[in-house]
Amino acid sequence: MSEITLYDFELDENCYKVRLLLSVLGLSYRKVAVNMVPGREHLAVALMTLNPRGSLPILTNGEFVLSEAEAIMTYLARAYDDGNTWLPAEPKGHGTVAMWLQFASRDLHAAYLARRLAMFDEPGDEVALGLAARRAFRLMEDHMTAREFDRAAWFVGDNPSLADLALFPAIALSRDFGIEHEAYPALRRWMRLLRAIPGFMTMPGISDYY
Amino acid sequence: METGWYPVALAEGLERGTSTGTRLFGRELVVWRDSADTSHVWEDRCPHRGMRLSFGFVRDNHIACLYHGWQYDTSAQCRYIPAHPDLAVPNTIRVATYPSIERLGIVWAYDDLDSDAPQDIGFAERAPVTPVRSLYIDASAAKVFDALVLAECPSLKDAGGATQRSRTDALASLKSGGDEILVAVQPLSDVESALHIVIAGSPDVHSGDSQKRVSAWGEALRREIEGAAGYAGELRHGVAP
Ligand code: FES
Repeated sequence: MSEITLYDFELDENCYKVRLLLSVLGLSYRKVAVNMVPGREHLAVALMTLNPRGSLPILTNGEFVLSEAEAIMTYLARAYDDGNTWLPAEPKGHGTVAMWLQFASRDLHAAYLARRLAMFDEPGDEVALGLAARRAFRLMEDHMTAREFDRAAWFVGDNPSLADLALFPAIALSRDFGIEHEAYPALRRWMRLLRAIPGFMTMPGISDYY
Repeated sequence: METGWYPVALAEGLERGTSTGTRLFGRELVVWRDSADTSHVWEDRCPHRGMRLSFGFVRDNHIACLYHGWQYDTSAQCRYIPAHPDLAVPNTIRVATYPSIERLGIVWAYDDLDSDAPQDIGFAERAPVTPVRSLYIDASAAKVFDALVLAECPSLKDAGGATQRSRTDALASLKSGGDEILVAVQPLSDVESALHIVIAGSPDVHSGDSQKRVSAWGEALRREIEGAAGYAGELRHGVAP
């Protein structure tokens, strides 16, 4: 029988996205701890064979190997979420979730790099990354403000989706790189709700109360 | 900076049992709402070691500091120190507070710590109002008012003719026919402001479409104000480790 295996670094927000989804889906899996910082084990031969991009997370299920958090999330949702609540089957809902997943990996990449710079002393332009991260957070804030006028609580549709889980870590961890939550009242309310999702779990830097 | 009343949050957005950090003229404040629905504005400093109380959490009508768990009741008095559970906490251990009041659907603070004689806020309550949003802008309060002096009132249910504008120290009104929006301006720092926007009138009339229209109006105003000096305006955010 195949077994889901996650190659994981505890302090990495992309790995956390996948842990969070596995947890809310109630799936059991094997976790292989990879010392990304300072060990750089994700760049060692064994892992580069599995994922030539040299990124985490990596998920395997039997012979099947997949990298990139958002791709892994869509796979897990299709494979294990029978009700399609996390990734809607309906075309518009599906497309909109996909758009926000893209946003999580592209627009929020600056936030990821800003955090790597602040936490692990990796190279980067602090000011430019900070501004780009704030621009992305502002787009999220404006979106959730508009959603509240429609009495909607989640990024897409009537239920939490992969979009919420993928967008959450960057803003929840933003204090790690010096961005307070002051300017994001709608996101604060959303982050509070998100913590009440059954199966929610934290990572270092994210508290379970808020 | 003048001593006076300044907005610090939209009342409705501040949920029961939650706190948030904000600033007035660069000074850090914690704004929180207790379980009896009363809002409080304090200095964002724990008397123990000076850590920010807004990083802690609200439980059962007190704020608990994140760092060593000291707990403060609604009068800002420290009541419990986990490291010394049997200690009767001396009355001298207390957080500095700002006089505060809710009016027009907005939480206001009088920016004089521990003042026992704040001046009158200078405008009456006008219930009901429909809250729209708080909008954070990378520009000084003075620049925001410069723009508000020229801004047109967005048209809502009862649009009619030219915009009439008026303002007090921290509050601007834009009126057109029977439509009126109120914009309270919070000076966060020399280069950042928050606008707390409400529609004068009942949510029965204004929730939904009018809120969206005013929110979009606010976003356009933000673009205009920040655009005047390039994105992020005068602000260069340092990114603290
Ligand atoms: S700093 Fe607040 S309890 Fe120690």
